[in-house]
Amino acid sequence: MLKAGNAQAMATITIDNRQYEVDDGQNLLSACLSLKKNLPYFCWHPALGSVGACRQCAVVLFKDADDQRGTLVMSCMTPVKDGAIYSIDAPTAQDFRAGIIENLMTNHPHDCPVCEEGGECHLQDMTLMSGHTQRRFQGRKRTHNNQYLGPFINHEMNRCITCYRCVRFYRDHAGGTDLQALGRNHQVYFGRQEDGLLDNGFSGNLVEVCPTGVFTDKTYSRHYVRKWDLQTAPSVCEHCAVGCNTAPGARRDGKGDPRQLRRVTNLFHRQINGYFLCDRGRFGYEYANSAARIYTPQAALTQPLIQTTAGSAKVHQSLSPADAVARLAVTIAQMRSGNRRVIGIGSSRSSLENNFALQTLVGREHFYAGLDERSLALLKLVDRIQRDPRVHSPGTPEIERADMVIVLGEDIADTAPRIALAVRQAARSAQIARAGELKIPAWQDDSVRQLTGIRTPLLVASAERTDLDDIASCRVRAAPEQMVALADVLAQALTAESGEIHAPDIAGLDTGEFTALVEQLKQARHPVIVSGCGLQSQELLQAAARLAFAVAGHKEANHRQTDSREARAALYLACPEANSLGLAQLCDARQNLNQLHRERQSEHTPQPTTLLVMEADLYRQLPASVADQLCAGVDEIIQLEIVHNRTSARADLILPAAATPEYEGTLVNSGGLAQRHYAVYEGSGWIQASWRWLADAAAASGELAGAELSGDEETHARLQSLARWRHVTQLSVALAESYPELAPLAELGPDWDQTIEGQKTARQPHRYSGRTAIQAERQVAEYKPLPDDDAPMAFSMEGIQFACQSPLQANNWAPGWNSNQAIHCYQPKPGAARLGHSSGQPLARKAVVFHSDSAAGDAARPTADPSDGFRILPLYRMFGSGELSNYAGAIASVTEEPFAVFHPQDLELLSLTAGQQIAITESGDRWQLLAKVSDTIPRHCIGVSTGFTQMASIPGAYIEREQIAPGDA
Amino acid sequence: MISILRSLWLVFRHLFTRRVTVEYPEEMPYLAPRYRGRIVLTRDPDGDERCVACNLCAVACPPDCISLQKMEDADGRWRPEFFRINFSRCIMCGLCEDACPTYAIQLTPDFEMCEYDRQNMVYEKEDLLINGPGKYHEYSFYRHAGKTVSGKAKGEAAGEAKPVNVKSLNL
Repeated sequence: MLKAGNAQAMATITIDNRQYEVDDGQNLLSACLSLKKNLPYFCWHPALGSVGACRQCAVVLFKDADDQRGTLVMSCMTPVKDGAIYSIDAPTAQDFRAGIIENLMTNHPHDCPVCEEGGECHLQDMTLMSGHTQRRFQGRKRTHNNQYLGPFINHEMNRCITCYRCVRFYRDHAGGTDLQALGRNHQVYFGRQEDGLLDNGFSGNLVEVCPTGVFTDKTYSRHYVRKWDLQTAPSVCEHCAVGCNTAPGARRDGKGDPRQLRRVTNLFHRQINGYFLCDRGRFGYEYANSAARIYTPQAALTQPLIQTTAGSAKVHQSLSPADAVARLAVTIAQMRSGNRRVIGIGSSRSSLENNFALQTLVGREHFYAGLDERSLALLKLVDRIQRDPRVHSPGTPEIERADMVIVLGEDIADTAPRIALAVRQAARSAQIARAGELKIPAWQDDSVRQLTGIRTPLLVASAERTDLDDIASCRVRAAPEQMVALADVLAQALTAESGEIHAPDIAGLDTGEFTALVEQLKQARHPVIVSGCGLQSQELLQAAARLAFAVAGHKEANHRQTDSREARAALYLACPEANSLGLAQLCDARQNLNQLHRERQSEHTPQPTTLLVMEADLYRQLPASVADQLCAGVDEIIQLEIVHNRTSARADLILPAAATPEYEGTLVNSGGLAQRHYAVYEGSGWIQASWRWLADAAAASGELAGAELSGDEETHARLQSLARWRHVTQLSVALAESYPELAPLAELGPDWDQTIEGQKTARQPHRYSGRTAIQAERQVAEYKPLPDDDAPMAFSMEGIQFACQSPLQANNWAPGWNSNQAIHCYQPKPGAARLGHSSGQPLARKAVVFHSDSAAGDAARPTADPSDGFRILPLYRMFGSGELSNYAGAIASVTEEPFAVFHPQDLELLSLTAGQQIAITESGDRWQLLAKVSDTIPRHCIGVSTGFTQMASIPGAYIEREQIAPGDA
Repeated sequence: MISILRSLWLVFRHLFTRRVTVEYPEEMPYLAPRYRGRIVLTRDPDGDERCVACNLCAVACPPDCISLQKMEDADGRWRPEFFRINFSRCIMCGLCEDACPTYAIQLTPDFEMCEYDRQNMVYEKEDLLINGPGKYHEYSFYRHAGKTVSGKAKGEAAGEAKPVNVKSLNL
């Protein structure tokens, strides 16, 4: 979002004969909204600035106290001036605004009852606010035909009021190209040149940015309910590690359909997502409603089946939750008495509390992260780098203000999209700074954009073309090894007093460009370095860290920043999953799946063993042959899972786990911020949080094992504490006590009994409808709302309704403001952090100086001749690389099939053709991929799609030529 | 003493006044067409369901006894997938009828809704939908609203001009 000037000076202004103190440097509209004045507007948006297009926010400006007439000004284009006198209520201003809205409404199709925006429509709110109630226009309405914009967004062009917000967001803010303002005069049309999927990954924000119903959420429309019928709670997006705050909306179905989650909208968090979410986060929610969802406990049939086609998969049948708990309890009782070993496999997409409960159940030595060796090593490395006192993880506003950005290897547009959007804003920071020198305020969007040709230096080093290429001042496409060399040379150039620095040998990077890069880096006062685990290269992460340390040293030496916080270098390291960094706190690098596999292979004791897998798909982490061996080596597999996957197909017992919007827990994002997500709805079927299944089973096993207390004391104590936990906050406190890094968890949010003035926070808004009818088909008497054992929130309308009074409130609503624009009513001023403060605490990691660790390097190239082998470069897609979002129907419909990208010459060398199926074999496993050709990928490299449905990544970094062959047609 | 006599006298005098009550159900009282009784869902003049599942009746309902789910048919019309009124909660206030933008939900002069089992007071769409337009004979929402439905393309609603060809010069 834009800075409304740096000056925190105050100005005294008079509005309608009352004096107010407001921040100087902002525009009058923003000031009026900060004062909670009801002033209608359309084209202005706190993140997009002012253009004065809609003329809706007119107010009267008086010359002095004697001036009785005044002049009409657009408040969004008027800087507040100390001592100025304005009037919102002056009849001239009111008449003008009423006239404007009357004009805007002349072509409106009057279809509010069948419009998805109805009830949360900014146009409805503004029409009412301006007092336009009677249509006087007698002429015909201009109409437009709609376009097909893909499976996410519905288009209804006649509802448009031509505020231009959509193209300003889509093109200017998010860098999209395929949505345009077409046509002319009163026939302006916002759409594409032809029907087709909107190809920008932030297109979903059009739903919230558009003040009318031109762009609406198509997935939501399929199970649509009005905004006032949605129950909401603050949640955290589970589809990547950025940790965007979301407000999922859910409603029970009146026909008993278990699918309750209806949509996901943005929940403003100043430091992370601001006003915008990516499309994976917005539309990925459908996994919770997918056909693969597990609603009841299931047990594998024990009778031998004749001639099944299931292969190693098992045939499951439902069983009652009590039986399922009893079965798990038997396993635990055997573990208690020492007759069985239980190995717990934790999850990087599940909460800290769930992982901790599993760890408590099986003991630390039997707890393994559900990650392969390489992934866990990368996470531990990220953790170690972030502990270094010379670096810090920047928040989104800091990235947006950066005066130089270096992206090293990470395809953030696909692995951490919201950060890519922030980097895109950083590309304009030089322009905004220049505007500041010219005394143009940053919110004067159009004027600032007139300063063309001024760009923030942005180095994008990537394996393949990325969505940031269009804003990069320097593009480098290289293998990770070359990026390491580049980062090291840059670091060297920063630290070296003098001497020749030679550009590294990278195709496409000439000496001139490199010298410019060094110079820009030396000049930059707030550079941000972005890298991550995407390329699966430890050396790259270390090189990024070394570069960051050099930047920190340079900052300290040259810019003499007195504030130690300022002197730290901003280093953003993207992690793969929502709780990757949290899981990394709970285990050491040794506790990975490969290690477990090796231990199992080398062990020949006949002790019965259970694999207790929690929300992890082994077949996604390990090549199928290794996962098969791991599964075959144990005599029982018990899985807690949200959706069916290849691991659950082999499980003997499956327990339905709650999806992120169905339980309360804590996730740690890439920046090391622990954030709590709350249960939005009660869940369907027998779903409950994984830790509750484990606690129930632990309690039940206590009864089973009550008589024979063999086993060791420590196990008993552990299981007893697990069985005693009733509220998730008790687990958080226990976590805080067990791990010093996680100490802030104890302070993260209110306990279940910490009500505000005796009241809980209501999840349902005060207009929630159908309370006495929705379940009346089966039972005419109303059910009592289910209690929430974890948070002081009610699954009903009772309790506190308004966002400013409780940090637990996610429903944006204020009197007169039904749309999501109501958020300004809960901010001290538009764009500032919410009054009800977002939850989230940084981890209390002890500062340890990081030393590069050459031993922990990547696998070396096996052969000296590069033409023999190929470097595997993992490539990511916003739609396709997310484990859970791949289950979402709309996302699955636009996901490509798994692919391998070759340089044209390499493809020729291998005598393959683009569009052909190829197979890559590695130690007995086979990956079937679609061959693609790209001249932007470096030679002797293969870009392989990573994270696609139920597909593990290729374990090695290099493959031989012989391993690639044509695949099955 | 006097007050007792006065009361006796007043009661005695009432023996000769005209009866207000009628012998219901042998004699049915007159109820005006706009009487607020049992709720129905009506059809538009073409015989299509009027309800577009906008949820306004449900949100207006003081005892929250209306519940429905929107669905979109192949013809582009919004319809309720189910529409349920729990008459055991209904207070016959008529706010749903006031809120309805399509004249779909209407109250009728029928109040005879007695059941031994409360569950039978739950009416579904099949129970509520009648085969006529009710009190408002002419109105059809989709003839006015700009949304495209089968049989009515863009520009064919009341007061609409033909769609603009954006790719032409449109001078």
